[in-house]
Amino acid sequence: MSIEVSIPPFLQPLADNLKRVEVTGNTVGECLEALAKKYPRLKARLFVKMGKLPGGMNIYVNGESVYPDAVARQVRDGDKIHLAYLIFGG
Amino acid sequence: MASNTGKLLRVNLSSGKVSTESVPESVAADYIGGRGYGVRYLYQELTPGTDPLGEENKLLMLNGPLAGTMAQAVSRWMVCTKSPLTGAFARSVCGADFGAWLKFAGYEIIIVEGKAEKPVYVHLAPDGCQILDAGEIWGKDTKETQAWLDKQHGKNTRTACIGPAGENLVKYAAIVSDRRTAGRCGTGAVMGSKNLKAIAVTAQRRTQLADPEAYDKLAREQVNIIRNNPGFQNHKEWGTTATQDVTNAIGIYPVRNFRYGQQTDYEKIAGEQYRKLRTGDMGCYSCPARCGKVHTVTSGIYAGAHSEGPEYESIWVFTGPIESNSIEASIAADQLCDDLGLDTISTGGCIGFAYELYEKGLLKKSDTDGLELLYGRHEPMVALVKKIARREGIGNLLAEGTMRAAASIGKGAEAYAMHVKGLELPAYEPRGAKSQGYNYVTASVGASHCYGYAAQDIFGAPFPRPTDRFSEENADVVIFNQDGTASRETGIVCGFAGGWGWAADLFGKLLASARGIDSFADNDYLDRVGERIFNLERAFNVREGFNRKQDTLPGRMLTEPLHTRKAPGEGQIVSHQEEFLDKYYQLRGWTKEGIPTPEKLKELGLDFVLGDITAH
Repeated sequence: MSIEVSIPPFLQPLADNLKRVEVTGNTVGECLEALAKKYPRLKARLFVKMGKLPGGMNIYVNGESVYPDAVARQVRDGDKIHLAYLIFGG
Repeated sequence: MASNTGKLLRVNLSSGKVSTESVPESVAADYIGGRGYGVRYLYQELTPGTDPLGEENKLLMLNGPLAGTMAQAVSRWMVCTKSPLTGAFARSVCGADFGAWLKFAGYEIIIVEGKAEKPVYVHLAPDGCQILDAGEIWGKDTKETQAWLDKQHGKNTRTACIGPAGENLVKYAAIVSDRRTAGRCGTGAVMGSKNLKAIAVTAQRRTQLADPEAYDKLAREQVNIIRNNPGFQNHKEWGTTATQDVTNAIGIYPVRNFRYGQQTDYEKIAGEQYRKLRTGDMGCYSCPARCGKVHTVTSGIYAGAHSEGPEYESIWVFTGPIESNSIEASIAADQLCDDLGLDTISTGGCIGFAYELYEKGLLKKSDTDGLELLYGRHEPMVALVKKIARREGIGNLLAEGTMRAAASIGKGAEAYAMHVKGLELPAYEPRGAKSQGYNYVTASVGASHCYGYAAQDIFGAPFPRPTDRFSEENADVVIFNQDGTASRETGIVCGFAGGWGWAADLFGKLLASARGIDSFADNDYLDRVGERIFNLERAFNVREGFNRKQDTLPGRMLTEPLHTRKAPGEGQIVSHQEEFLDKYYQLRGWTKEGIPTPEKLKELGLDFVLGDITAH
């Protein structure tokens, strides 16, 4: 089972400057854990504590927001997860 | 539902006449309010070629149909006028409480016309509107001015005023309310040119809604959505005081007048460093985020400096352009700008320009009143802020903005003036976030980051689709961002709050129940209003002589590769501007010269514009 995760610009330097990474998992949370395992420097940016996303991190599956239950959201082979670190500036 | 279109207060400072009008239902239906009303009235009432600082220019202050209600983050207000900095349409948005108070007083628009013979202020109260003598506060800073007006008119008063910069007609002077500013485009200079020091509103809380019951239910739903949204929680904690961590990491933090995309040792200006000096927070009416983070300097040469801010743009503009790592200096400069009534972005942009001219030998110590404008040295920067507001020495030149200052200096100084249409560039490097750069190019007001913020490039937002931030083929996304912003600014929704999970579903319904116009609940209808507003602004500019020629980034972006130090994006350049514009104009339904076609104008119900711009 292969899930593609798109990584926002801010986090790409922590993942060998890759824009997209293939991982496996049954839920968004499992996929993010797999991603953090591949690129340990990402871990602190993906989880503030076990299973909880940091403020500003918005997650989309196949283009649809999965707020508010992002971590538990089921995914299937071929799904695309998109991470957006939306904090805005002004 | 009864229709509730809003009221307009017209104040003529030449004649002293004050009058009230209702906004016609057809105008409300087509433009909703806020920025829509702003461009509609300004377009209709201003003669092309009007001197922005002349008696004939008009100054519009507007809130939106949702202002002053329990709905959150919708009580902002804005100023629309013809900009003395650009000569183009100006819209500048401000926070604090003034927008809500204007609504409590019964108005959605104030149009100030003419020019007073001597300094005055306008006082709007339940028993009427008066034009009063401002002799005692002319020359005072914005803090002193507001304190004086509070004392005169009591605690239920909120004020929008100018400081010495506005009085001195600094081309990018701001209008200040509490410690928030309508900063961009020189709206404060227009106010100063009318001898108008302040508008003070004394009022008791009350709401005006077409369907209060439905509105109340929707507003409660909005409050519940926002409360748990992760974006809201992050914004409440940080405001924008940590955005520089992101922009430095990805190489789009403009340094040394837009030559580098990352500041050396940028950890010294990180959000955590500002957090150490945080002493409070402030916010706007009916917004729980309180995103204005207050900072106080406790030691060193800036000890005692205290400001609501700096926020991201001002953090950048008082560090990056001169490559200073002094957060204390940035706090001091930010405070001075608020006190003196200056736009921080243009002020710091002009200072960064001066530093580079000094480096290149185009300005010498004898030109700068003895100041040595050397990178990393922040004391001259702080001194220049004061000089600009007072138009002292070199400050008089820089008070004109980079475009005019460069023309005055000559000798190739234009190459170092970082502006679009005369408005100084904000804190996102166009070569590393190209959709943001092309928003600067095509925004009605010039280089504003808020006119169509490219969250796709900067933070990886996936709507309407993800972008490659180095690609120049995202004209559709730039248009999506610009028209969406115009639509939400009929509200007037805070730019941050639009991302807190409620806007797409609830904004239109709130508008519909506030106004009593059901079609506002349809998102397609709102999209069309946003497009109409943007096109009418473009028509305003075309009527003033703007066309494709002014739609350009500074030459540096087109010819010099960006250096990003340790960040990605080294060597990036904007290389397909003409192709981008062709595509953008085509998607907009504009001619190759960037002029809306008759077909597009008719489609948007802008037939009245046809005769004005076809000659161009």
